[in-house]
Amino acid sequence: MPPLLEVDDLHMHFFTRDGVVKAVDGVSFTLESGKTLGVVGESGSGKSVTALSIMRLVPEPPGKVVSGDIRFKGESVLSMSDKDQRKLRGNRIAMIFQDPMTSLNPVHRIGKQIAEPLRLHKNMSRKEAWAAAVELLAQVGIPQAEERARNYPHEFSGGMRQRAMIAMALACGPDILIADEPTTALDVTIQAQILELVQEIQQRTESAIILITHDLGVVADMADHILVMYGGKAVEFGVADEIFYHSLHPYTWGLLESLPRHDVDDKGALCPIKGQPPSLISLPPGCSFHPRCAYAQPICSTEVPPLVEVERGHYSSCHFAGDPDFVAQFVAHSCYVGGPREADG
Amino acid sequence: MSGNLEQPDLSRSPVGPGAEGSPVVDRDGGDFAGPGRTLRADALRRLRKNKLAVAGLVWIIIIILIAITADLWAPRWLGDPIEIDSATVSERTLLSPSVEHPFGTDKLGRDIASRVIYGARVSLIVGIVAVFIMVVIGLIMGAIAAYYGGIWDSLIMRTADVFFAFPYILFAIALIAVLGKGFQNVFIAIGILGWPSIARVFRSSIMSVKSNEYVDAARAMGASTRRILLRHIMPNSVAPIIVYATMSVGGAILTEAALSFLGMGVQPPSPSWGLMLSEARSFMFTAPWLMIYPGIAILTTVLAFVLLGDGLRDALDVKLKE
Repeated sequence: MPPLLEVDDLHMHFFTRDGVVKAVDGVSFTLESGKTLGVVGESGSGKSVTALSIMRLVPEPPGKVVSGDIRFKGESVLSMSDKDQRKLRGNRIAMIFQDPMTSLNPVHRIGKQIAEPLRLHKNMSRKEAWAAAVELLAQVGIPQAEERARNYPHEFSGGMRQRAMIAMALACGPDILIADEPTTALDVTIQAQILELVQEIQQRTESAIILITHDLGVVADMADHILVMYGGKAVEFGVADEIFYHSLHPYTWGLLESLPRHDVDDKGALCPIKGQPPSLISLPPGCSFHPRCAYAQPICSTEVPPLVEVERGHYSSCHFAGDPDFVAQFVAHSCYVGGPREADG
Repeated sequence: MSGNLEQPDLSRSPVGPGAEGSPVVDRDGGDFAGPGRTLRADALRRLRKNKLAVAGLVWIIIIILIAITADLWAPRWLGDPIEIDSATVSERTLLSPSVEHPFGTDKLGRDIASRVIYGARVSLIVGIVAVFIMVVIGLIMGAIAAYYGGIWDSLIMRTADVFFAFPYILFAIALIAVLGKGFQNVFIAIGILGWPSIARVFRSSIMSVKSNEYVDAARAMGASTRRILLRHIMPNSVAPIIVYATMSVGGAILTEAALSFLGMGVQPPSPSWGLMLSEARSFMFTAPWLMIYPGIAILTTVLAFVLLGDGLRDALDVKLKE
């Protein structure tokens, strides 16, 4: 049986006036049902575009899938007709957006918006859909769901709106739930609640989750697998524990180091990855991370490292990932000793 | 009298609730503004607070009522607005305002008040029908241009630019020269000439609404393009159109008056405010009431629509929410 979702060497480029933006430039992963995949990376690393590509929500033009494929249960999403894609969206694959303040339509009642996917995909009558929407609202933890369903979005707080968004995404019982930074716009306490809710729902419904975030802390609890992206490419992919405790890529090391720590008393400076993410129009030659990498060697600026399976199920695209001595250089939670080279320009 | 008022100042136009930057206070938990308070009710409440807009609305309602009921009382009390009573015309010509003829009479002995009242029918019909025509064309064109973009956008917007490139009144006169003089052709001409502005406003409004995440969310939900346009984008982008259309009614009334004044619009003996002004020119100093009353009618009616439009703009703008 084919896996639930397969992304196979996806290249999604944007053809703009300034040049070709290689937003996603070679990303592959598979997702099994009931599992959670965490996608991490800095802003502009192609996380969101990957998600939007799966939903076929990237505006074309300027976007275009140059090569690669996305298969849902073995069937290519890219070659489906518009109508078939619509049947998938919101029904089998649903998405939660980043900003709950703007992702609900201000002119429709909350209940009506949650009922909409049911009306679209399940052929429910207005009344049935409304009843189901109230039920869903209660399930995502909104008290007095019956009255609240009659509210407009501006009468909901941020956390409540995100709950409503989740209810909307869950309405049709999707196989895959894509959450694009679902907690970024919320404050920390609400964040935890929302993540708990998502986890609880996963246990109940057995749907697979793609959790996109730039916060490793968020995926730590939840993800089974982690995909690390940089400059539109997958740089590391593996089981969550492996990525956290036995990472094989200097970029991931940088991400781990830059996490603020709670277990240290003295308020030392944070350890950021120095430099800026590369421009996706003109990526550096060779490994696109080399200008910021503390361990870069001459080969890094000339040859593009392929994503290879270094250990079973653990992929890395570093030239030296296979070298145990090299990997041993990384001592978790210590700032780079020498500091990275200055990024050019 | 010129047609300049056709293009009301749009710099303060609301972008529509779509651009909501969230002025709403974050209230978690139990208390909230109260259920069922719709956006429409909110807007109405805000409109009611604006005295000028309410005055405009009241005036418009009064004029509409007068125009609708005119047949019932105006000819009997004031005299027929069109028919000339040849027996008494010599003793009734150019009478100054009196109890019997509150606004005086014209050269042909017709009651000015009665003509002004019937003129309201002409003005309102022209104003409302013309705006209806331009809104329908403008909405369709604007929606196509904004949503499909690309070649459609260029095609429609460049056509609109061609319309803007001609002096408005001149274009209207040229169009009427082709269509022929007459009542219907006035509003057809105004409607055809007016759509580019509506299309532009609507297009930019859709563009700003389109970039909202809830439109992506609707697509992610599997909604069709048609559904997204009608259910998700339209309700959020019509606010500026309501405002613009209201103001345009005033503009269309002015244009009708201008065209009739120039002899290209409503033809005598029909009562039209512009036509009455035109006929009054020769008696400007000897019988000023011929000019004053139709003039006041035009002024107050156009002003009423503009004030109402202005009030609607503020009322529909969620960003001004207290």
